[in-house]
Amino acid sequence: MTDTMALALAAVLMAAAPLILATLGETLTEKAGVINLSLDGSILLAAMTAFAVAVTFDSPWLGMLGGMAVGAAIAGLLGVIGIFLGQSQLAVGFILTLLARDLAYFLGHSFSRQPGPDLGLWTIPGLGEVALIGPVFGSRSPVVHLSLVAVFLCWWWMYRTEAGIRLRAVGESPRAAFGRGIRVRLVRLWYCLAGGALVGMAGAAYSLAVKPGWGRPQGCEGAGWIALAIVIFGGWHPVRAALGAVLFAALQVSGIYLQDIFPSIPAPVFQVAPFPMMILTLLAVNMGRVGWIQDLVRRHPLLKRFSRGWSFDPPAALGQDFDPRKGL
Amino acid sequence: MIVLQDIHKHYGRVRANDGVSLTLEPGRIYALVGENGAGKSTLMRVLAGHTRPTSGTIDLGGRTVAFLTPTLAREHGVGMLYQDPLDFPAMPIWENFQLGAPKRTKGQVFDVIGELSYRLDACFLPDEAVSSLTVGERQLLELLRLLDLGATTLILDEPTTGITPEQKRELFDLLMKLAREENHTIVLVTHKLSEALEMADAILVMRQGAIVATLTPPYDEGELVLRMFGDAAESEGADAPGPATPRPAALDAPPRLRLDNVVMAGPKYSMGPMRFSARPGECIGLAGLDGSGQELFLRGLCGLDRMPGGTLTLDGRAYTTNDFPVLRRAGVHFVPADRLEMALFPALTLREHIALAFPGRSDELDAFYQSQCVERFNLRAHPQTRASELSGGNQQRLLLSLIPDHAALLLMEHPTRGLDAGSARQVWSHLHDRCRAGATLIFFSPDLDEVLAHSHRVAVFYDRAMAAVVDRARATTEVVGALMAGKDPDQVLGGGQ
Amino acid sequence: MKRATSRATSQEKSRTQSQEKTQAWSRFPALTEAGWLGAALLLALGLTVLVTLPSGASPFETIAVLLEGGLGSVTKLGRALAGWVPLTLCAVGLLVTFTARLWNIGVEGQVVMGAIFCTAALRPFDTGGVPEIILAMAAGILGGALWALLAGLLRVFGRVHEIFSGLGLNFVALGVTLWLIFGPWKRPGVASMSGTEPIDVSLWLPRLGPMSVSWAALALALAAIVGVGLLLRRSSWGLKLRAVGENPKAATLFALGPRRRLLQAFMLCGGLAGLAGAIQVLGVYHRLLPSISSSYGYTALLVGMMASFRLGPVPFICFFFAVLTVGSIQLPLQMGLDSSLSGVIQGIMVLSVFIVHGLRLWLRQRREAA
Repeated sequence: MTDTMALALAAVLMAAAPLILATLGETLTEKAGVINLSLDGSILLAAMTAFAVAVTFDSPWLGMLGGMAVGAAIAGLLGVIGIFLGQSQLAVGFILTLLARDLAYFLGHSFSRQPGPDLGLWTIPGLGEVALIGPVFGSRSPVVHLSLVAVFLCWWWMYRTEAGIRLRAVGESPRAAFGRGIRVRLVRLWYCLAGGALVGMAGAAYSLAVKPGWGRPQGCEGAGWIALAIVIFGGWHPVRAALGAVLFAALQVSGIYLQDIFPSIPAPVFQVAPFPMMILTLLAVNMGRVGWIQDLVRRHPLLKRFSRGWSFDPPAALGQDFDPRKGL
Repeated sequence: MIVLQDIHKHYGRVRANDGVSLTLEPGRIYALVGENGAGKSTLMRVLAGHTRPTSGTIDLGGRTVAFLTPTLAREHGVGMLYQDPLDFPAMPIWENFQLGAPKRTKGQVFDVIGELSYRLDACFLPDEAVSSLTVGERQLLELLRLLDLGATTLILDEPTTGITPEQKRELFDLLMKLAREENHTIVLVTHKLSEALEMADAILVMRQGAIVATLTPPYDEGELVLRMFGDAAESEGADAPGPATPRPAALDAPPRLRLDNVVMAGPKYSMGPMRFSARPGECIGLAGLDGSGQELFLRGLCGLDRMPGGTLTLDGRAYTTNDFPVLRRAGVHFVPADRLEMALFPALTLREHIALAFPGRSDELDAFYQSQCVERFNLRAHPQTRASELSGGNQQRLLLSLIPDHAALLLMEHPTRGLDAGSARQVWSHLHDRCRAGATLIFFSPDLDEVLAHSHRVAVFYDRAMAAVVDRARATTEVVGALMAGKDPDQVLGGGQ
Repeated sequence: MKRATSRATSQEKSRTQSQEKTQAWSRFPALTEAGWLGAALLLALGLTVLVTLPSGASPFETIAVLLEGGLGSVTKLGRALAGWVPLTLCAVGLLVTFTARLWNIGVEGQVVMGAIFCTAALRPFDTGGVPEIILAMAAGILGGALWALLAGLLRVFGRVHEIFSGLGLNFVALGVTLWLIFGPWKRPGVASMSGTEPIDVSLWLPRLGPMSVSWAALALALAAIVGVGLLLRRSSWGLKLRAVGENPKAATLFALGPRRRLLQAFMLCGGLAGLAGAIQVLGVYHRLLPSISSSYGYTALLVGMMASFRLGPVPFICFFFAVLTVGSIQLPLQMGLDSSLSGVIQGIMVLSVFIVHGLRLWLRQRREAA
């Protein structure tokens, strides 16, 4: 592996880190049956908070904690209004995303374009000399390591622990989960908070590592929506979702290279390129449910095998309300 | 021993349970019978901790509580099995089994499943998803799970709907064994008298939220019917009229519907090629376990699911594509089982439903409503009532009244789902009238008795294919049940078909 | 289900009873409603004070500046009305898509596309009059409708949820604007964020007296309110659209053509949003800017949610939100605060309404359970 390849890979992992964190957070929340549409605003407000806290206390790690707290608080608000007060999760999430965005710009006004600390680099002793992975992981921002560890932890939690079974159960059938003695609403609220904290971490990763600093615009606008789409693309599975995030980041990074190759194409085109890509990705994922394509797939055994790994069903009770007082 | 004392459960103003007292002793099998809406399921949910009673007490082995939670009920050995099993289809069997149980490793869970399966003569692959099981197998899995949790009181809510007669036999044998040999208490919630008479040591009859009688053997069936339905039973007769035989003219009339090499494709699977035909005036019942293909057959016939191959001939006109609006104009009408979810607009009024179904009559809506819904269908509700406020019977009356008289082919999923006996009789008498007038009815019901009682021919589905079509004369519970379970049609029918 | 199927007679009896009871304890439903609305507004005020505290500014002074900035003089009122027009057009259009239960978040991009099409239609003309203006407006409507149709097609045939397609298309529309301003349509000399070359005065919408709002724009907005109201409540098209929104599966059974109707709803909303974009070009900015939509699309979504998707309150909420938006321009000048405070207050207000709705629901369920 040449050095340029290693550099490119490192750049992709760096760009992917916050996307991975946000995607994992939303995957957790949606797996429990709650849609948190407030991702985009949450990331911005968490990014602002993280930076402001980091500047004020001169401690980037305290800043990251602050960002996580903000992410969890917004998700908690959504959880309380959506789960316990029975309001539309989509509507509340959308209101919160706009509110959090404007709040970030409003409260972050005085921190705009200020110098501030960032998370720096982590050098893992000894790793730098190892072939292949050394140049990629040897000395990188801690968010890269954090995001990769988070992927493993999420997967392990969801598929290898008792708590993970309960998490998926409340997202699949809250009625049945209630019948098994699980306190459905509390479990859901808990995963709102946990997912929100990860989303907040993603925001902090932007303002403290990937695009250090705060301003209007910060540069991470729209990332939350992309993360929401990647959750669908990843079929609500943490590992596949993380792969989706890396893929997206790779496309984004290659866009920067392409910009150098095609200087005649104006910069705005590259800036908005992720969004049509997002739509096309969702289109591709959902194509498996369109009738005539299903017929085609059924006729060709090869396509059939391929399609099995392509399209996934969302948690069956996603976005549905559950009130234990009404009984089963 | 479990004692329920003066249980009340009110939903708003509706009194689902109105002062029920009940004692359940170990080692006995109880049957809780009553019409739909009599309050059977509510009472059992109270006992299983799935809903809180408005007032009353529950006494479990000396401890008295005002309500139970699912956890508390489990601790006292109460387990409930729902008609539609309360499980997680997308998740593997072992996770379904483990959820709600004390902490164990995956290996231990596998061992327990294997052991219990062996004891109860079942076979489960713990890594398979629950969605790959039939309803009967899912019920059995739930039963296994409850026994593993130490359940000594088992409540089964309409357990025989949607399973084959053979599976029913096995289930009943198992319940008998559990009660006699292991001293378990069994409560069988059912609206089928035959099951109660066959199984129960005591029959509890519920009516309008209260237990009106407790019968012990020897049973008098007439008395049981009288207790369940009250005076209405005498005047109307408990059994619905059977279908009228097709008029002779219809026998040699051209077929209403003919399928040639038709392939149907739904979102989950495809089926075919099939050949099939139906005459005017014929009632054809579809029998089959959940997911055997009968749902796709009905949805494909009306154009809701696709027909990628073959020809559908309706009244002499051939169609190679099944476009829903085109077929609807040609007189094909579909009534799904899930009425409020699939067929009605919950927040719209009855008047608005009429306006949508009969666009040509917008100027005289109220008069039309009066003549069509109220007078012909006995739908007693104000035209400004929302569909969501209607009872199940009135929803079905509304849907039937929205189908124009010239409809040639009626496709119905479980026509009497959730209806009380009176409404069910009314629906069937209306459907028979339509058939006598020349319409063809193809319907499905998970209740095999209903299919057999109302069909001229029964089409049996197994494993996503039409296994056989049986004439009324030969369609007995045994024959159709064997076909539903996948027995070879040549053997069952003696090679004649 | 079980409850619904229980005996019809006892249900009917109980319903009449509960109706009598309801009438007894709330003799004045309007007063109760007003009380709850007041509670929501108080909650919003409290939350606003809470979140503005970290900025160090006096909350009440800030609110005074906001209101003064939107209502303080005839000129300022004119600006608020100029904001009211596109906001109302978008919000009224969104009622159509909300009726079909569609989340047309792409309304923002539809405004932008309307503005782009409008500018494109005007490019051949150096000067002009009424016909050119009408042509430009028609082009704007077309642009918005086509952009909405794209989201609709993705939803109906590609099964991509309109939240994602709409949002993506919003960013794309913004990208197209930037590309046009910095590329093919750049001002002679240097391209900048200040937009394209202004259009000729003869192509401006006529103003209403000293105010910066055009009477034509006001008339169009009022016509849209009345038109959509009639369409949704009085026409059979509206009834069918409501049915499609209420239950798409049943709409298929009733042969109401749900797909076609969803596309029509998208296009109608997009057309109104496109008209709003055209009015922004013709009546307010007189050129194409990157921020031509002033985020009115997103604000209109908030308006729709705050009005619980009913037409009645929409014009009033729109006016209040427009006052806040226009007033917030004064914040950086007078108090050194960021103008996004208006968005914060709007968001908090809508959130408060949802919280109060939820609390009411919760209380009612508790009362029923007891």
